[in-house]
Amino acid sequence: MSLVSRNVPRLLFQALQSSSSRSIHNSIANNTADLAERPNARTTCTLIPGDGVGPELIYSVQEVFKAAGIPVDFESYFFSEVNPTLSAPLQVVAKSIERNRVCLKGILATPDYSHTGELQTLNMKLRNSLDLYANVVHVKSLPGIKCRHSNIDCIIIREQTEGEYSALEYEGVKGVVECLKIVTKTKSQRIAKFAFDYATKNNRKKVTAVHKANIMKLGDGLFLKSCEEMAKLYPKIEFEKMIVDNCTMQMVSHPHQFDVMVTPNLYGNIVDNLASGLVGGAGVVAGASYSANCVVFEPGARHTYSEAVGKNVANPTAMLLCSAKLLRHVNLPMYGEMIRNAVEKVLNDGKVKTKDVGGQSSTQEFTYAVIHNLQIPPQPPLPTY
Amino acid sequence: MAARIMRKSPFSLGQLLQRGQSTMSAFEIQHKTPLIRKSSPIPVALYGGRNAVSMLPGGGIGPELMNYVREVFKYAGAPVDFEVIDIDPKSDENAGLDYAITSIKRNGVAIKGNIETKSESAGVLSRNVAIRNELDLYVNILHCKSYLGVPARQKDIDIVIIRQNTEGEYAMLEHESVDGVVESMKIVTETNSVRVARFAFEWAKRNGRKKITTIHKANIMKLSDGLFLDTSKKIAAEYPEIEHNDMIIDNCCMQLVSKPHQFDVMIMTNLYGSIVSNVVCGLIGGAGLLSGRNYGDHYAVFEPGTRNTGTAISGKNIANPIAMLSASIEMLKHLGHFQHANLIQRAIEKTICEDKIHTPDLGGTAKSTDVIQRIIDHILQADIRP
Repeated sequence: MSLVSRNVPRLLFQALQSSSSRSIHNSIANNTADLAERPNARTTCTLIPGDGVGPELIYSVQEVFKAAGIPVDFESYFFSEVNPTLSAPLQVVAKSIERNRVCLKGILATPDYSHTGELQTLNMKLRNSLDLYANVVHVKSLPGIKCRHSNIDCIIIREQTEGEYSALEYEGVKGVVECLKIVTKTKSQRIAKFAFDYATKNNRKKVTAVHKANIMKLGDGLFLKSCEEMAKLYPKIEFEKMIVDNCTMQMVSHPHQFDVMVTPNLYGNIVDNLASGLVGGAGVVAGASYSANCVVFEPGARHTYSEAVGKNVANPTAMLLCSAKLLRHVNLPMYGEMIRNAVEKVLNDGKVKTKDVGGQSSTQEFTYAVIHNLQIPPQPPLPTY
Repeated sequence: MAARIMRKSPFSLGQLLQRGQSTMSAFEIQHKTPLIRKSSPIPVALYGGRNAVSMLPGGGIGPELMNYVREVFKYAGAPVDFEVIDIDPKSDENAGLDYAITSIKRNGVAIKGNIETKSESAGVLSRNVAIRNELDLYVNILHCKSYLGVPARQKDIDIVIIRQNTEGEYAMLEHESVDGVVESMKIVTETNSVRVARFAFEWAKRNGRKKITTIHKANIMKLSDGLFLDTSKKIAAEYPEIEHNDMIIDNCCMQLVSKPHQFDVMIMTNLYGSIVSNVVCGLIGGAGLLSGRNYGDHYAVFEPGTRNTGTAISGKNIANPIAMLSASIEMLKHLGHFQHANLIQRAIEKTICEDKIHTPDLGGTAKSTDVIQRIIDHILQADIRP
């Protein structure tokens, strides 16, 4: 009986969207109102194109959004560290993200040295000002991209407001530089809880804490202890710990053993990039940074790909997958699925591939191929009484 | 008197975590030493503006009502992710219950139906009571407000019932020392009475209420109810702007059915709260309309106002979904999503008061799904949206 009652609302939902089987191309104008879970309600999203190929990728996303008729407005800011005179002020950008609660962001280039002696990069400043403490990178094998391993599906969660990125470096004695790595209990517990809650929400089975507590017994020890304590609150999720060097080896040889990984700042950065390399590189992995109130969606591996600027060769897959995640987050899951399916279909067909995954097509061709494949996702079958 | 002996022991986080694993012992600790305040400040699960909330559908009509809540939330775009936890009503084990309690501790907020406890063995606790005790949800609030257009005995009622939720007659301390003589203890503690009274007065102050009535039976239970009454009088002295009076429970019930408009905010011990809230619910249209809130120091649990399972009408598509929906609205308000809450609230008011789509318990003929469909239509048509 409860099964029946559980299905009744779904029936209503479907009745509202009865024209679901039609392709989006011949019915886009009439159909969008039915599709939107909140018609007339448009979501505003902050947009930071970033450096390098960022603007090209964002343009690709905007084209797809336009074609699908997605009710999202962008509030665009030029934000860059390598171009400080043109960049919008940090406060303005942070305020916009705080207001909109969602942001789609390209990658910001980071110069190797600072003119002003400032140790914090703009990226770090943005994260700290919004308290974007959790970085989530979803490493998932995509169909049609040939790699050493297939069917990888793991989530790497990284603390990104403390640790080695605290920007506390000084030369106390000439020739001796000290760089402080800060680990606090509050932030360790917070990221551990985030990881377990993320695992619970997404039906994941295992959380692996990555650490180096055998060498940094106090710093990483605290991180590990916090994870262990938090794990006791989640009896249904398996908890495992792994030393970072072993972890990287396991990642390249047996990546399927990993489900959700929780790491301190620098290890997370390394493992993110390593894992991205396993599934096809920086162009295909989506990520997001969470604070309590806002989310910034950005590609998972942070490379600007500045050598390809203006050549129309960058792969927009990562940015499109980010936008799909963004749509799911702002309660437009059907549009998100639409984009995701289209991207997967294009990759699977294998006719249109950008250079980085072994093809010859341009960014634009890929974008148009995605637009061409946009389809309303199939509905679950009708319940029977 | 035994209950007044205080046993203080400092709880470290480790012990607290361990206690989350074994409800039974923790439950006993709570009962045998009701003065221990339990606190484990685990931060609430709020990520990227979305809250994680534990959902305990419970038995009877619970699962269907929860599905309606999720459906309405989807259309209203409420930023809430539910973690659904089913507890097997027949099992004698408390594992499911333990997990539910741990989950509420992690998320900080829960919405629940009434959970059945089918086992009759003395060792198995009532799950509802166990959840309240383990999370130390010491106060229950029931805001009884008439809906226009709903056939009811009394119109324009706006009463807030604030009830002690963890002790009193619900202490579950019963024994048969001599054959044929059963003793049941009613525990009233000063600490808990102070907490409830303080909560009530603060709540009244913040919500602009004018008067608080303490309901008791201190003429018979001079010590226990006397303590409760004295405490509320003491606290009342600190709030001169709020009028305070007291009333004996039997008289109160009579006054409620004859002249209910004299009441504003009422505070009372556990069992009286149960009775009075059912009386008021009956006055304004039955169990299907109102929702209750349980607050502790760290956790909040939202549920339909009268704690009935509704097994008889489950699966028939005639249960009134409004009670659970208003519980979800109060949950949204608690989480700070006021716009979403108001959106759903207005849709419900339009459906019930203007369109008069009523389920059989309100004298209508509509199915539960008809009500939900109309509410969703109103949400989709609303001009002001989050």
